Amino acid sequence: MAHVRLNNLSKSYGKVDVIKDVSLDIKDGEFVVLIGPSGCGKSTLLRMIAGLESITSGTLQIGGAPMNDVPPRDRGISMVFQSYALYPHMNSADNMSFSLKLAGEDEPQRRSKVDRAADILGLGPYLDRLPKQLSGGQRQRVAMGRAIVRKPEVFLFDEPLSNLDAKLRVKMRAELKELHQKLKTTTIYVTHDQVEAMTLADRIVVLRDGEIEQIGTPLELYDNPANAFVGAFLGSPTMNLLDLEVSAENPSEARFSDGEALRLAAPAAPGRATVGIRPECFALQSEAGSGALRAEVVVVEPTGASTELVVRKAGQNITVLSHERLAINPGDSVWLVPNAERVHAFPDGAAA
Amino acid sequence: MTHASDTHQPLATPQRRFALTDGQVAVIRHLILMSFALVVLFPFFWIVSAAFKTQIDLLMGRILFEPNLDGFTKVIFDKTSDFLRNFGNSMVIGAISTFLVLVIATLAAFSLYRLQWPGWVLHSLLGWSVIFHMVPPITLAGAWYSMFRSVGLDNTYSGIILAHTTLHLPMALWMMGVFVRDVPKELVEAAQIDGAKVPHILWHVVLPIVRPGLAATGILTFIFSWNEFPVVLVLSQRQTATVPLGIGKYAQENTIAFTEMAAASTLSILPAFLLLLFAQRFIVRGLTSGAVK
Ligand SMILES: Nc1ncnc2c1ncn2[C@@H]1O[C@H](COP(=O)(O)OP(=O)(O)O)[C@@H](O)[C@H]1O
Ligand SMILES: [Mg+2]
Repeated sequence: MAHVRLNNLSKSYGKVDVIKDVSLDIKDGEFVVLIGPSGCGKSTLLRMIAGLESITSGTLQIGGAPMNDVPPRDRGISMVFQSYALYPHMNSADNMSFSLKLAGEDEPQRRSKVDRAADILGLGPYLDRLPKQLSGGQRQRVAMGRAIVRKPEVFLFDEPLSNLDAKLRVKMRAELKELHQKLKTTTIYVTHDQVEAMTLADRIVVLRDGEIEQIGTPLELYDNPANAFVGAFLGSPTMNLLDLEVSAENPSEARFSDGEALRLAAPAAPGRATVGIRPECFALQSEAGSGALRAEVVVVEPTGASTELVVRKAGQNITVLSHERLAINPGDSVWLVPNAERVHAFPDGAAA
Repeated sequence: MTHASDTHQPLATPQRRFALTDGQVAVIRHLILMSFALVVLFPFFWIVSAAFKTQIDLLMGRILFEPNLDGFTKVIFDKTSDFLRNFGNSMVIGAISTFLVLVIATLAAFSLYRLQWPGWVLHSLLGWSVIFHMVPPITLAGAWYSMFRSVGLDNTYSGIILAHTTLHLPMALWMMGVFVRDVPKELVEAAQIDGAKVPHILWHVVLPIVRPGLAATGILTFIFSWNEFPVVLVLSQRQTATVPLGIGKYAQENTIAFTEMAAASTLSILPAFLLLLFAQRFIVRGLTSGAVK
């Protein structure tokens, strides 16, 4: 196990800068998720850590040792690829023990390590099978087995679950989490799925266009996003981003065009502001009251456990999530009482 | 296949004046295919049947004849016949040059497509190999002859093997390039992370996956070497002559030994034929399924 330190890492392909000055400290045993939209450079950054992609500038340290010019095999890492990349001509056991064989370990040693990994991953009955004779989830497990038998200092995952169907993905996600709790190996995990990030991560790193937008624990990022991009990227249903006006006289309020105002968690700069508030941060009431905003119901979507509403307020749609059973119909008026603690004004222009 | 259904559609349309039924279309299609088959197979059949005729039967153009093995006996057992030696030479030259071609082409294809060469290296090498492949071998033969003579490689196995390796390398490089590019990049990367160095990656990961490609390329290269005529004609004399030269020998200035020639030709088909039968099971694609995705 080891900590990983990225100091001002950059990567350019010719004139195109794909990773720009990324610095990050990953603690020993930590599970860090890199998340961001497709093409933002997540895989590139992970591959730079793995040694599959050269580092244009900056330094990478694993376990305190500089790694910029160390080949992948000597970095103490294992990687699970999105496509699994299992050797098609080797059965599961051979796939898992290939690295041990290259390291010169003898047959009984390899056998016991593979058996232990197979035990952890429930692969016992499939050790003799070729990859093509395995289901998607089983291939995924073999790929994970191949990564764990080497006892690496750091696990690298590049969207390992994205080729699985939704149900299996949830199951494997839980297994991954359990695995990390068992092995406590430093893990860097790339995904574009915010649910995976929220559920798995000790800390989440949000990337956009090769730059870090924000780093923090899942709930820190969820409750206090640094900007509208992070706010909108995490959470489902998506955070409401409202286009409001902050006056110079009262900077801790943001006003709708109809004159009603929303209290902010912290005072904001006067002028137009993008104000973010999560759908579950409203209380609903059926009549006017102090601090309540009047809105008209547009859509009602009950899901059983909760009800999702879309309401319209001064020409803007707001999504509201309620855990109560609501007797409400489209066209009705409702009054929203926002939780002021959770209303963030973002600097304008930073919206996604 | 697609063109067949393309033509089929308008023909079957009822507005057409000479409308044909599906059955008629099928008959016509088969007739066309059969005539193609005839064009290809007739000379083959003619040669094989000639091998079993007497010279008289052959020259009289008899269609019905009493088969005899005189042609074969002469070709194989006659003291003056070099055919068995030619056959052996062809085997040795074909096998060794094919082996060399496969080794070089596979290493080159892996290096070009999987190690990070700048684009111009890749393209100039591949471009050069295409140009070389398009040059008729006969134009090289003369130059090679004088070069090989000056270093003592004329009329040696090494010389001919070298020439055949050079001649057939571009084709093999292109073929192996296709197969090597089919090996997913991630497999090479996974192997790198697993601790494999380039030789391990080649041996344990790439080679097992491109085996069908090696079989296909090897068979083609061997057949090319087996059939190659102009360069061996120039480079070899009696000791190193190959099968095509041996067959050519039956056409002398004054007489042409037709039945021997036909018998030798028939025998010369055997290795390629056996090779194809034997290697067919190796040439099965889809070995990579299950590797990625
Ligand atoms: N070999 C390359 N040459 C040029 N650009 C590349 C190369 N590889 C990736 N990129 C670019 O780098 C960016 C980041 O890619 P990637 O790391 O794969 O994104 P992500 O994994 O976040 O979807 C993309 O815009 C992509 O086009
Ligand atoms: Mg990616």
